[in-house]
Amino acid sequence: MRMGMVIDLDKCIGCRTCTVACKSHNAQPPGTWWNRVFTPGSSYHQAAVGKDGYLQMNFLPVSCQMCDNAPCEKVCPVGATYTDERGVVLVNYDRCIGCRYCIAACPYNVRQFNWEDPKKVKERAGYKEGYDYGYPADVRDKDGQLVYTPNRPQGVVEKCTFCFQYTSQGEKPACVRSCPSKARIFGDLDDPDSEVSRLIRDRQAFRLKEELGTQPKVFYLQASKPNR
Amino acid sequence: MERGKVKLSRRQFLQATAATGVLIGSVGATGFAKKAIGKGEAALPDIKTIRTTCSPNCTGACGMNALVEDNEIKAIVQAADYPDPEYNPRGCLKGLSMMNLVYGPDRLQTPLIQKGKAGVDELKKSTWDEALDFTARRLKEISDKYGPESIGVMFQVGGTGYVHKGAVSRLATLAGWNIHHAYDQNGDLPMFWPMTFGVQTEELEPSEWVNSRYIAIFGSNIMATRLPDAHFLVEARNRGAKIAVFDPNFSPTAAKADEWIPITGSSDAAVALGIAKIILEEKLYNETFIKTYTDMPLLVRIDNGKRLKADEVQGLIRPEDIPTYREAYVAYNGQFIAVHPEKLDLTLDVVLEGEVDVHLKSGEIVKAKPAFQLLKESLIKYTPDEVEKESGMKKDALVRIAREMATIKPLHIVYGASNYQWYHGDLKGRALALINVLTGNLGEAGAGISTYAGQYRIRLKVAQWWVPEGRKQNWLPWLYVLNGPTKTMKAKYPEHGIKALIVGWGNPFDQHNMSNILRERVQSGELEFVATMDFQMTTSCQYSHAVLPGVTWYEKTDLVASPVHPYLQLQQPAIKPVFEGKPELWIMKELAKRLNPEFEKYFYPELDPDQASEEAIKLMLKTGGSTVEGITLEQLKKGPVRLKSEVPGNRQIPFYEQIQHKRAFPPESLPAKLEQTAQFIKSGRIEFYKDEDIFLRAGEALPVHKPPFVESEYALNPQAREKYSFTFVTRNAIYRVHSTHSNNIWMNELQEGKPHIWLNPADATEKGIKDGDEVEIYNDHGKVTAFAVIDPGAGRKVAVFEEGWWSRYLKGASYNSLTYPFIKPTHEVYFVPGMWAPNTAWNECLCDVRKVGNAQ
Repeated sequence: MRMGMVIDLDKCIGCRTCTVACKSHNAQPPGTWWNRVFTPGSSYHQAAVGKDGYLQMNFLPVSCQMCDNAPCEKVCPVGATYTDERGVVLVNYDRCIGCRYCIAACPYNVRQFNWEDPKKVKERAGYKEGYDYGYPADVRDKDGQLVYTPNRPQGVVEKCTFCFQYTSQGEKPACVRSCPSKARIFGDLDDPDSEVSRLIRDRQAFRLKEELGTQPKVFYLQASKPNR
Repeated sequence: MERGKVKLSRRQFLQATAATGVLIGSVGATGFAKKAIGKGEAALPDIKTIRTTCSPNCTGACGMNALVEDNEIKAIVQAADYPDPEYNPRGCLKGLSMMNLVYGPDRLQTPLIQKGKAGVDELKKSTWDEALDFTARRLKEISDKYGPESIGVMFQVGGTGYVHKGAVSRLATLAGWNIHHAYDQNGDLPMFWPMTFGVQTEELEPSEWVNSRYIAIFGSNIMATRLPDAHFLVEARNRGAKIAVFDPNFSPTAAKADEWIPITGSSDAAVALGIAKIILEEKLYNETFIKTYTDMPLLVRIDNGKRLKADEVQGLIRPEDIPTYREAYVAYNGQFIAVHPEKLDLTLDVVLEGEVDVHLKSGEIVKAKPAFQLLKESLIKYTPDEVEKESGMKKDALVRIAREMATIKPLHIVYGASNYQWYHGDLKGRALALINVLTGNLGEAGAGISTYAGQYRIRLKVAQWWVPEGRKQNWLPWLYVLNGPTKTMKAKYPEHGIKALIVGWGNPFDQHNMSNILRERVQSGELEFVATMDFQMTTSCQYSHAVLPGVTWYEKTDLVASPVHPYLQLQQPAIKPVFEGKPELWIMKELAKRLNPEFEKYFYPELDPDQASEEAIKLMLKTGGSTVEGITLEQLKKGPVRLKSEVPGNRQIPFYEQIQHKRAFPPESLPAKLEQTAQFIKSGRIEFYKDEDIFLRAGEALPVHKPPFVESEYALNPQAREKYSFTFVTRNAIYRVHSTHSNNIWMNELQEGKPHIWLNPADATEKGIKDGDEVEIYNDHGKVTAFAVIDPGAGRKVAVFEEGWWSRYLKGASYNSLTYPFIKPTHEVYFVPGMWAPNTAWNECLCDVRKVGNAQ
């Protein structure tokens, strides 16, 4: 089993609902975003690219690309970043020492560092005293490694887990469930009959920075360009 | 950490989110812990799922599941439980981050009272009794002194909560206060609807978009403003529909379209009339359709511009079975025919063109022409060359697109609010509707014209709850509060004006046009008392004398419907009210009994707020009429229920009955009575020729193109023509629902925490403005500052601001301080609240821009 995701850029409308679903279900503190949506080529989201009336605007959601050949995993000096039996790249928060080599190594810039105790960051935002959001319990993998906790400790690196707390139970990640355009599809890349496999075959899927040989398990489908 | 427990709890969390259908209505009852224990396993954490309906004023009305642990919302996910799976999942980034408002720093904790000067001194915490006693005492004093009609009530907006908003209407009716209808206050009422079709507004449901083969979008940014439904547009395109977007700005919607046609601001009527001219010239119109359903064959007197009435003509008799709000007019097929306004059975040999002499009963002989002939004559000037001059649309493109729109069916036109919220928004809508009607694109799957703005729609008969015992209500359009009375107004202006305001679910002291004037009125004492109900500390709370903390849609029971999709849904309490917030029905009840002990009985005083709300829902379902026939509260607790319609499958296809079964126009617009709206189109037909005096005087008997600003900004100040060359357009962003979520911490992180002004690169260069510069946008009415986004997709001479920002992010200024409450006389021909009333033209606003620090 190799879990992967297909993101259909034709369906993506750049609404950023997935980024917010990710943030809330994974209890990310203010300032931390595991999943972002960009307008490539533009300095500001949803501003056009081009000039003199020759314009375009496409959207690109980017979170952990779940590389088969993950540079972050290779550089981790303590083995905190690892790939589980479903092909999901995870961080063991108990083991991470916060050296941030992985952040430097990741070509997709998706890893986030907890410079501060997230509880303090949330407190500063002014939420009702004692209030906290997100999936409310610790989650460990089959070997007992801590791969989800509502407030990651200060000094550790965190990132998308394909919503381990959900997908390890056979459910879909929050971004997939929440996408109002159904632009995200999650499934088993090893299963040739899965929707993800079919879409990758049929729709000329591409991956980000393919040339680096990272072999991501997140695939993108081109935004179709009607004849103008 | 015990892994077994954790795993189980995760499964519970998931089950909870997946199994909504089963769980709805089981609020607090189905403990997953209990379930789990039943399976012989441990039980942590105890998470409940409660389905509610996200209900800001965005029309989405999206079913949401709150995941609740220990009376706290931990996360939100779309309920995705609509019986028509194509509507799943509905919901967007704002709805999913609602925790930030429910538990955010601006959440009101207690009632507040102003003991000093409103808008100046600090509000003081109070008990509910103190705040309610104080509010009731002040309202009674003002009512005694100036009359109850001097107290204005505004709430945003009816469809987002029939129970609690109805409770405000209920008390306002009992007390005799004036209500300001949100639909015209917000400028959301597209006046071409009542003028042309005799309805408040009608809209195709989004699942119908995929049935269209041509979708022409005029100034609507569906990809940003209709997030839950935007996918239907992409699907329609991928199924072969052509999508053409007419917009001065290259929007996300334009980016997904087949064709983007940039036209200059508010030139849409010129384009539409240019298209209509080609349709007429090339005989691409549907003659049977226009003879059957429209006023095109009806004769118009040339001497006075009035439609010829049957009882004026020698030898014709006005049929006797015509209600007083209708009129029998005349058509000609060699003989004069009295046209029955309730029968769409006119013979097809009637003439559409030419001129006839008519012998009147008075002995006069007058000349008359069919409206179609007059239309044809009026369109002569809209040549492709002329349209290009007015709109910037290339003439060959106009001809090509006119032929496409006339021949590719079904055609759906979407006319966006940002586009109709201009002084001549009514004319543009009438011109666009002409394309649909000439080509017979109406009343069938995928065909029609839609507007999609505001959750105004009352989809069931609510009178039993909203208007106790059928008492008379007082209504005053908001523009008169700002502008003062006019000579031509049909609404009744209170003798002393508005001396007190009761505000619910709105932020007029921040968001409404001339909010700066409102602030001054409070500070000067002209507005003697303001009470605001809200769950957050808004600018309007700061300018109030009494602040009454309400609750969100996660903390109460209510009934919700949207104009956009056809589902009736509940709000259900996922958590207990946060801090001292109270459901608004309770606040109304408490206020009612203090105003007059007789009033209390109207608010279910013996029940708690949720029980009382359920009783109100049962009452409305029971007396709600055909759209809710057979729908019960129990059904709604299980999930959303499609409202009934006269279309097979209960689909939402406007005018289906009129077109398919030849029933007279208009269909009923609730809550108005038919006689109120049918008077707008007395012929019982789709009317493009309006013969009321005000239309004739304005030169708007037929749809015409009038350039913006001439009758508004330039009339107000002729120097504006030279001084202000930019148009200040306030569009919606994906990050807010109007001003709701303006203070949502995550939304602000996604937009650099600051408001932006979008400018074309050439304009920015001329003004010496670079990306990120702080820019002042100003005119004679006001000014606002924002940070520049240099966008090659922004039209020339347009300053695009994304509306909804609270003034705390704008150095205390309201972005709408630049706007002006223009009242267009044709909006005063009739008055039916929220249906034919003067309404706000936000984008009819000129300005200039300069880099902050660059004084000119």
